[in-house]
Amino acid sequence: MSSGLLTFAPPDGAIREVPPLGDGSRVRRALAAVLGDRRLAVPTLVLVAIVLFAIIAPLAWGVGPDTQNLLASLKAPSLAHPMGTDQLGRDIFARVAEGARISLLDGTLIAVIGAVIGGVIGLLAGTTAGASDAVLMRVMDAILAFPPLILAMAVTVGLGVGLKTAAIGATLVLIPWYARLVRSEAIRIRSLPFIEAAHAIGASRRRIIARHVVPHVMPTLAIQIAAGFAYAVLLLAGLSFLGLGAQIPTPEWGAMITDGLTYSLTGQWWVSVFPGVALLVTVTAASMLSDRLRDVLDPRSSGLRS
Amino acid sequence: MTGVIARRLLGSLGAIFGASIIAFVIMRVLPGNPARLILGPLAPPSTVHSLYRQLGLDRPIYVQYWRYITQFFQGQWGYSYSDGAPVRTLIGERLPATIELALFAFLITMLASIVLALLVTYRRRPIADRIVRAIAYIGFGTPPFFVSLILLIVFFSTLKILPGPEGRLGAQVTPPATVTHLYTIDALIAGEPGKFLEAVEHLVLPGVALGMANFAFLVRLLRANLLEVSREPFITVVRGKGLRRWTAFRRHALPNASLPTLTAGGLVLGEFLAGSVLVEKVFNWPGVGSLVYEAILKQDFSIVQTFILLSAVMFVLVNLGVDLLYAVIDPRVRVRSVVTA
Repeated sequence: MSSGLLTFAPPDGAIREVPPLGDGSRVRRALAAVLGDRRLAVPTLVLVAIVLFAIIAPLAWGVGPDTQNLLASLKAPSLAHPMGTDQLGRDIFARVAEGARISLLDGTLIAVIGAVIGGVIGLLAGTTAGASDAVLMRVMDAILAFPPLILAMAVTVGLGVGLKTAAIGATLVLIPWYARLVRSEAIRIRSLPFIEAAHAIGASRRRIIARHVVPHVMPTLAIQIAAGFAYAVLLLAGLSFLGLGAQIPTPEWGAMITDGLTYSLTGQWWVSVFPGVALLVTVTAASMLSDRLRDVLDPRSSGLRS
Repeated sequence: MTGVIARRLLGSLGAIFGASIIAFVIMRVLPGNPARLILGPLAPPSTVHSLYRQLGLDRPIYVQYWRYITQFFQGQWGYSYSDGAPVRTLIGERLPATIELALFAFLITMLASIVLALLVTYRRRPIADRIVRAIAYIGFGTPPFFVSLILLIVFFSTLKILPGPEGRLGAQVTPPATVTHLYTIDALIAGEPGKFLEAVEHLVLPGVALGMANFAFLVRLLRANLLEVSREPFITVVRGKGLRRWTAFRRHALPNASLPTLTAGGLVLGEFLAGSVLVEKVFNWPGVGSLVYEAILKQDFSIVQTFILLSAVMFVLVNLGVDLLYAVIDPRVRVRSVVTA
C-alpha cells in the first residue's frame, strides 16, 4: 500500500492504483476505471457505437426499413445501399439499424426484468431458510430442467407466436440463473461478521436485508445483466429465426437471416450476412464486457469462462 | 455416499416432475381447442365435442395431468395433428439422422478442443493462443444458424467443395443397406466407400455448425484447466522423477484437466438439442430438429410438446449421470461429499 492509495492486483498480475475514495464524482471515477483498462474499454466502446448506431441511423438515413423498391431488389452493397438490398428492394442498412433498436431494447428489458424477478426470488430464498427457500429453488430447478432455447420455444408455442411472447420466454429462461446467483451471494453475505454486528445492535431483519445484504449483492447482479442481455439477444434471434419471434416484416436480425436464407446461398450473401454480423458483434461485445467486468471487479471468481 | 446419491436422485426426480408440470401448463394455455385443431375448421361441432370428450379434456385438471404424465412415460405420445401418425413413430423415424449428426459433431468438437487446447498450452504460443481465444469468444456469441450460413456461403456457394443443404446424401444416391440407420456406419458395413465419403461430406458442415458453441465452451475450459494443472506441484514431481514432458502431459496433466469438462455434459447435450432444431432447418437435415420445426409451422403441437418434455427428461438425466459418474471417477469429490454430508 503506497501513500494511502488502495491497490489491488488484477488477474494479469499488474498492480493498478485506484484513486482514493472521494476523488471526483462516482460516475467520473467509474468512467475513468472503464476507459483506463483496455480490456474493458474495447467492448464498452463497441457497445456504445452500436447504441449510437441504433439511435442515429434510422433518423439520419433517408430510406425507411419497410420501403420497398422492386426495381432495385437484391442489389449488391454500394454507396446508395451500404449493405445492399433484399428480395423486395428494401435497404438492408436501414433494416439492420431498425433491428438494432429492437434487439437492444428488448434484450435490455429482458435482462433487467429477469434480474429483478430472479433477484427478488433469490433474495427471498437466500434470506429465509427452510420451506420457502426449498419451494422457490425447486421451482427454479424445474425451469432449469429445460434446455434454454427449448423452454423459450415452448413458451412461445404455448402463448402464441410473436416478439412479445418470445421476450416472455427469454425472461423465463433468465430468471433461475439470477435467482441462483443472488441466493448464493445472499447466503455468503448473511454469514459475514458485519451482519452479525448489525443484528447485535438490534437492526431488524428487514433493515439488514435492505441496507446490508442488497447493496452487497447488487454489483454481482449488475455484472450478470450484461451476460443476460447477450443471451437474451441470442435467444430472441434464435426464436425469430424459427418463426416464433418477430413476424414479417419486422426487421429483427434473426428473422432477417431466415428471410434471406435462400438468396444468400445463391450469390446474394449480403441479405443474411449483415444482420448476422450485427448480431454477432452485439452478443460478443456484451458477453466480453460481462466477463471482463467480473475479472476486474471481482478477483475472487476468475470463473469458468476465463 | 449413498445419502448423497439418494438426495441427487430425488432432486432429479423432483426436477422432472416440476418440468412435466410446466410442460403441462404450457399445453393447457395453448390457444384454441386441441380437438378443433386435430379435426380442422370444417368438422361439425358435434364431432369436435365428442373428440374433446374422447381426449379427456372435460375431466378435472388433475385427472388430465395424471393421464398426460402416465401416458408420456409409457411412450404413448399421442398422434400428430396433421397426419394422424403416432408421434413416437414420427420421432423414431427421424432420430437416427439427428443421432448421427450429433455424434459426428461431438467427435469433432472433442477432437478440436483437445488438440487446440494442447497446442496453446503445451508450449508458449502467444499468437496461436490469442487466435484460439478469439475463436472461442466469437463461437460462443454466434448462433448456430449463422455459423451454418457462413459455412454454406464459403464452402458451398463460393468454393463449391462441399455439398449444400440437401440433407444426408445427394439426390441421386440411395442410402446403404440399413443396419444401424447411421449412413456412415452402414456404408462401411455394406463395403461402399463411395457412399461413406458421400455421407461424411454431408455431415461436415452441419456437424461443425452444431459443434461450434460447444467447441467454444470446451476449448476455453480445457485451456484454463490445463494451465492450472500444469502449475500444480504433482506435475513438478513427476517431471522431477524424470518423466518426459509429453508423458507427464498425457498421463498426468490431460486426465486431470479434462475431468471438470465432464460436468459440462449437460450443457453440451442442451446445446445439441436446441442446436439441432436450428441447424437442421438450414441444412434440410431430415432429423428430429426439422420434424419439430415443421411441426411448429403446421401448429402440430403434439409433436412439439413431446419434444419439449423429452428434452427436459434427457437433460436432467444426463446432468444426473454426469454428477454420479464424476463422483465415481474423481475420488476427491467422493471424499468431499462424505465430509460435508
